[in-house]
Amino acid sequence: MTMRNSNNKFSRGDYFLWAFAVIILVLLFQSGFFTAEAWQDFGRRFYQNFVYQERYMMLVNGLRSTIFMTSFATLIGLVVGVIVSVIRVAHEGGVHIPVLNAIANCYVAALRGTPVMVQLLIWNFTVFASARDLNTQYIAILAFGLNSGAYIAEIFRGGIGSIDRGQMEAARSLGLSYGTSMRFVILPQAIRNVIPMLFNEFIVLLKETSVAGYIGIDDLTRAGQNIQALTMEHSQPLLMVALIYLVIVMFLSSLVRRLEKYLSRSKRG
Amino acid sequence: MKKLLLAVLVLAVIGVGSYYYFCDKDVKTFSLDVNAKSPAPIQTQAKLKNIDNLKNQKLAAQRGTVGQYIAEDLLGEENKNLLTTFEKYVDAISALRQQKVRAVVMDEMPAKRFVNDVKGLVIMKQELSVENYAIGFKKGNAELLNRVNQALKDIKADGTLNKIFEKYYNGDLDKINPAEIDFNLNATGGKLVIGTEAGFAPYELRVGESYIGIDVEMCAAIAKALVIENMNFDALPMAVSTGKVDMICAGITVTDERKQNMDFSDDYVEGAKQVAVVLADDYEE
Repeated sequence: MTMRNSNNKFSRGDYFLWAFAVIILVLLFQSGFFTAEAWQDFGRRFYQNFVYQERYMMLVNGLRSTIFMTSFATLIGLVVGVIVSVIRVAHEGGVHIPVLNAIANCYVAALRGTPVMVQLLIWNFTVFASARDLNTQYIAILAFGLNSGAYIAEIFRGGIGSIDRGQMEAARSLGLSYGTSMRFVILPQAIRNVIPMLFNEFIVLLKETSVAGYIGIDDLTRAGQNIQALTMEHSQPLLMVALIYLVIVMFLSSLVRRLEKYLSRSKRG
Repeated sequence: MKKLLLAVLVLAVIGVGSYYYFCDKDVKTFSLDVNAKSPAPIQTQAKLKNIDNLKNQKLAAQRGTVGQYIAEDLLGEENKNLLTTFEKYVDAISALRQQKVRAVVMDEMPAKRFVNDVKGLVIMKQELSVENYAIGFKKGNAELLNRVNQALKDIKADGTLNKIFEKYYNGDLDKINPAEIDFNLNATGGKLVIGTEAGFAPYELRVGESYIGIDVEMCAAIAKALVIENMNFDALPMAVSTGKVDMICAGITVTDERKQNMDFSDDYVEGAKQVAVVLADDYEE
């Protein structure tokens, strides 16, 4: 495919690309983008926003806190999600656990039915209202973790549902208990199916943590706002924050694509 | 992917090339610097002359601040949908510069900083109100309130507070080193947690991993071990009433309405003004 494409002089995609580039160039030219003043000015503002007084460190620390929260929240979500989904699937599969099942259903409904920002504010100002010595980041991790747990539970339920029913029947007919067949036969296959979706959940969560500033955590978004307050400039810090998010998300997405390829190959073999 | 790379490369070459081409020529096109460029003149409307002109105009204020209440009073019931509230002053000023609103109602000190640094903005001569700042406490927390009042009296008497005001009113904020502020973090006997909104120069600002500002240094002077929680301004009353923080200090204006929900210390700033920031082209004294 790639060989043939590169031998062609121009494909339709190329024309679009060049037309796009030319339009952008003309627009930039007209707006005075290529003047010395504009570039010097861009440099001066860039220096003010990110270099002076090591302000880039605010973004770095913000990013660190964003990734810290996202990682641990995903871990909590993973544990909670697996437990909740297994409860719901087991109940549907004939194991009699009505109370646990009701709790799990309520949990998923409540946490998927309310915005994550409202949940965050409730956790911080209502549930942990008097927890003064608790680091706010841990509250945020709990809030985001439980929130993503509800979504991960649904992902896993789908993953378990995608495993052929014959697998369970075969395991049970060999004399394994329901729990053992679930743990050693169904879940390993289900997990392999849902790993790409879990990575996607991580990516979604990474962007959702941008509301953490509301309870006073200096995450990446809030770090940009702090720089705005220092330099009184609106666009550059925001665009830089957006760029950082974009680069991370694109990198993670490419990992997911590779992972998907890898997993589907091992499935065939 | 390769083609995209090629396109970016071509763009970069043309960009750099034209940069050098124009470098020694005196090209007077308009600059991209939003701060240096004054906005396009407003021709369709009559220029603003005094506060009364604002009564039927689009206004902006920071959410939860006295500026918001003043703007609401100014607009009255019939025009209240003309007010837009923002989380941060920077957002409100941006809206003004993009002519989405006609004036921003805000405190005088941060307004001065914006007017100094951002071209094309002025403060209307006539102020909207004069008020005092104090520290807010949870209703009924008399013990801490009395101790803080005593400490405030002490730092007023020995000149510490005045020194802090002079440092911030006259000095360059960029030159203040947060490492020089002593937060007494190793002091024994408990810590004092304050809530603030660090986007309110010169009262509180986040610098790197620490804070500077009049409120910050004042609290550092009266507290044993100072811990600062940075949150949105409209979340501060909630934080102090639930006990998340011991007190809130963020250039908070004492109002009767607020007195119903929290207790206030003695005033530490008297005669702080609320002003309207407008575009210079849009204002005629």
